[in-house]
Amino acid sequence: MASSRGAGSQQVIRMADLEKMSLDQLKAVKEQADIEVNLLQDSLNNIRTATGRLENASAALHDLSLRPQGKKMLVPLTASLYVPGTLDDADKVLVDIGTGYFVEKTMSEGKDYCERKINLLKSNFDQLVEVASKKKTLADETGVVLQAKIKQLSPSS
Amino acid sequence: MSSSATALRELQRDLENKANDLSKLQKDIAKNHQVRKKYTIQLGENELVLKELDLLNEDANVYKLIGPVLVKQDLAEANANVRKRIEYISAELKRLDSSLQDLEEKQHSKREAILKVQQRIQAGKAKA
Repeated sequence: MASSRGAGSQQVIRMADLEKMSLDQLKAVKEQADIEVNLLQDSLNNIRTATGRLENASAALHDLSLRPQGKKMLVPLTASLYVPGTLDDADKVLVDIGTGYFVEKTMSEGKDYCERKINLLKSNFDQLVEVASKKKTLADETGVVLQAKIKQLSPSS
Repeated sequence: MSSSATALRELQRDLENKANDLSKLQKDIAKNHQVRKKYTIQLGENELVLKELDLLNEDANVYKLIGPVLVKQDLAEANANVRKRIEYISAELKRLDSSLQDLEEKQHSKREAILKVQQRIQAGKAKA
């Protein structure tokens, strides 16, 4: 899960500073802020996708828990090859916890794991949304000051 | 005055060399950032795994994916492996930090040197 890298190079830029900057500096600040906003939006999208996948996993688990043992099912061997089989023990599930490690858990522990991950992602998402909206306000403010400056300079030239 | 013309050309060559050095430094800094990002992500993932492993009972089954094979692992061994990996990645990150600082210092002094050479070129052109 990527953390926001902008933390190290964040500068508190106030309106007063923006007014003092030249046209070129303002343009640079706006471009930088726009790039950062896009990066943050991408991260937000990634988190949303991951949360969706986890919720699918959670739903699948729940569905699995409803099935009786011995139920006939089709087992995927490849993306296009399914083989008939029977459901063995639906109470034990293998959970991928990352870096190639898998843990055997019970059905309820597995559901709990999904819940925990979804909550973690949701809190990351909320934190990122805050940072992203602050950056967006900065980008917008810089844009406004830039426009005002351009207007200021053009009637006189 | 051919001597000042050659001096000027030398200064310009020096400027080119310094500019090349600067762009190499910038590429190195960018690469440093990339590797740093990769390691930071891996560190985060490994810490998550460690947290999960800590929540397990002594008798829980842990498996590691080695190629296409899922191999049963001892919980203690898995813990030790993940911890060692975390230590290694943290050490690498620290090393990258110090080399980044070094590169940024070199970049800064290279920029100053370039500025000086440019000033000398300007002075040379003004005289000729």
